[in-house]
Amino acid sequence: MTATAPAFTGRRRQRRVAEAHLGWWMIAPVLIVLAANSIFPLVYAVFVSFHNFQLLIPVPHRFVGFANYARIFRDALFWSSLEVTLWFIAGVVFLQFPAGFGLALLLHRLRRRQDLLVTLFLVPTIIAPSVAAFQWAQLYNYQFGPLNYILGLFHLGRPTWTADPQLALPALVFVDFWEWTPFMTLLLFAGLRSLPQNIVDAARVDGSTACQVAWRIYLPLLRPVIGIALVLRILMSVKLFDIIYVLTAGGPGTVTENLAYFTYIEGFRYFNLGYACALAILQLIAVSLLAKLLIRMTRRPGVAHVIPAGGAA
Amino acid sequence: MKRRGLSLADLLTYATLALALFVFLAPVLWMLITAVKPAEEWLTSPPVFIPSELHWQNFADALFKWGGLKGLGDSLIVAAGSTVLSLLLGVPAAYSLGRFRTGGDNLSFMILSILFMPPVAVAIPMYLLWSSVGLLDSYTALILQYTVFNVPFISWVLKSFFEDIPRDMEDSAVVNGATRWRAFWEIAVPLARPAILAVALLAFIFSWNEFFFAVILSRAEVTTLPFILPTLMEGHDVLWGDIAAIATLGALPVIALAFALQRYLVRGLSFGTLRE
Repeated sequence: MTATAPAFTGRRRQRRVAEAHLGWWMIAPVLIVLAANSIFPLVYAVFVSFHNFQLLIPVPHRFVGFANYARIFRDALFWSSLEVTLWFIAGVVFLQFPAGFGLALLLHRLRRRQDLLVTLFLVPTIIAPSVAAFQWAQLYNYQFGPLNYILGLFHLGRPTWTADPQLALPALVFVDFWEWTPFMTLLLFAGLRSLPQNIVDAARVDGSTACQVAWRIYLPLLRPVIGIALVLRILMSVKLFDIIYVLTAGGPGTVTENLAYFTYIEGFRYFNLGYACALAILQLIAVSLLAKLLIRMTRRPGVAHVIPAGGAA
Repeated sequence: MKRRGLSLADLLTYATLALALFVFLAPVLWMLITAVKPAEEWLTSPPVFIPSELHWQNFADALFKWGGLKGLGDSLIVAAGSTVLSLLLGVPAAYSLGRFRTGGDNLSFMILSILFMPPVAVAIPMYLLWSSVGLLDSYTALILQYTVFNVPFISWVLKSFFEDIPRDMEDSAVVNGATRWRAFWEIAVPLARPAILAVALLAFIFSWNEFFFAVILSRAEVTTLPFILPTLMEGHDVLWGDIAAIATLGALPVIALAFALQRYLVRGLSFGTLRE
């Protein structure tokens, strides 16, 4: 960054070399741990995915080429679990984002107590997902749950929620909404807070209404932050596992089985390790492409511009 | 055009925020209420909204009858162990990436992409690996497994932080005879303390809450609180009050930490992309 010096003196060059050496020493332990715990397993997963690898059947593992991958696309359960994953992504984009943005705008209007409120809102996000799932198991309880009691007061029926094939998926999408909308709010609120105030004031003077300000000024200026928030949440929703495991175990039938849960069942219930690994690798490829997109967005010059380091406190 | 006083818009703002706050906190509140209900009031229709007494016995049962105490201990060991290990590995790595640009953009991208790796992708090989070395159901396995996800997070957030610290102070220390390592340890690290606290908080919360690998790698020896919960919810006689007490034990430390370290929480949760 500061390579404007006309020529490297001998001592300077020496220092640079020493720094490079130290740099590698400082990062070497991380590389070793990551290699052992993620590079090696990934390579091994690729290897397994090319074999007929079943723990329950004591036959030697046979190389099967792309057979496991070919099987994926013929498997109706794969397509249905992909659909469930897409529903959760739709929940992020069409429910969590608008609600999160709305809440962020409202919080931004407040003049006091913003931090306290943000932290209160964040409680669903920071508690353990299995704790959150337990809370919803109570609320959704058919017989004794407060939700059905309140519906009963208004004679609105008694749904079985997570046991109802029609309602189970929406019920889970709502739990995910409840858990993660506050996180969306936090990111967008922090983004709003870092915007230069004079732009907004100028728009107000022009006589724009609050809605116009939100739509014409905040939305375009926040585009990089919105991009980051959406991609982060989409990546997280692809690996969603916990609330499905606790609340429905993929049921009733398989209507709430997403890709992550389907892979888990194939691998750890049926021990079709070859097939499960092929599924896992496919997800990894999809997610890496998404992650690449995310990083490109964080590097966009706009981000540095909109979010000055050490900006408005 | 800024108006002072309470306008209709202000009222609507407060009303909407209050309603939203209720929606987001009601389930937590319901858990807390259940945790202090006496057994006769767990399963009633209509449900009991205000317990007739504060029945602390649920917590005693949760701790001593259902393995809550062991769960708390195990969660603490795993979360603290992984946080400390992740910082020891991640802080120097972040400095190396941020200050020396070690390995260029490719290396930092590679480390970051591990953060987004779906856990199922490595679950099966890791399960086979840990079982082949006899470390299934051990502290070591969980601590290392969580470290793999904490380190990329820490490195990424702190890397941008170290980039923002001007290097003049460290450089002049080096010119005056200090080693580079001392410049890192005695100048850069103290300056980065708030950011380090933020990532430590998040790493702790992540490890305390983690569920997927706990399910896959744990059996009976190492039982963190998130792992215990669903095992108690199986079967027909669901002991709502006792489970709510265990869930509360799992949630309260995290909530308390979050409130105590509010400022750092926001900074850490926004993944360093937003700086306050």
